[in-house]
Amino acid sequence: MLHAKIVDLTKEKIKPENAEEFIASSKFGASIVFYGTVREDNENKKVTGITYDSHDDLVIKSFKEIYEEADKKLHIKNKSVFIEHVKGYVGLGEISIIIAVACAHRAEAYDLSRYIIEEVKKRSPIWKKEHYKDKEGEWLKGNPIQTN
Amino acid sequence: MKIKLELFGATRDLNNKDFIEFNIEGKSSIKELRKQIINYVDDKFKGNENFKKIIETSAFCTEDNNIVSDNYKIIKDQKIGIIPPIGGG
Repeated sequence: MLHAKIVDLTKEKIKPENAEEFIASSKFGASIVFYGTVREDNENKKVTGITYDSHDDLVIKSFKEIYEEADKKLHIKNKSVFIEHVKGYVGLGEISIIIAVACAHRAEAYDLSRYIIEEVKKRSPIWKKEHYKDKEGEWLKGNPIQTN
Repeated sequence: MKIKLELFGATRDLNNKDFIEFNIEGKSSIKELRKQIINYVDDKFKGNENFKKIIETSAFCTEDNNIVSDNYKIIKDQKIGIIPPIGGG
């Protein structure tokens, strides 16, 4: 079971309670909720916030592919996964991504949560523009997406 | 043909709208489109090397949300998204 969404911060807030509610089930014995949040420094620069941009359709497509691949690569059939990523301006300490997973056992839950965030970083078309205290903001370099 | 290039991430700085329109003569490809975008940077941004590097390392996607290679043939008016190097999360 998968929930995948881009949260446009100009229209709504990202809500952790939605993640916990989605994965809650007595079928599972292990749940992990991962939050990505905005850090106050990066490469010796004082960060004041980050603006996230995304190609919404491709991001949702990538979330679905990552979820489906977890079946083949991690062999975790019975699972519940909630992935939301924001777009728009995010202040210090605020949430940019929530990945909530629920599985039968803890080892599966840890593996799945880690797998999803690492794959999102590699494959989901999301971009960050950092804003700084003493200088103009800049888009982070990132890594080229793979083409077929 | 008219190509509406949709901008994302760092490429949003290439225009004050979220797209750039290119007119392409005859059949073309992503490889040709990439060259046209670099020509645009030469013209509008005095060959800004940072922009050129971003364009050289960008991928492209079609309206049906498929990432396509440089060999992809452009045979009709369409929207194409430029996907600069990514790094969300």
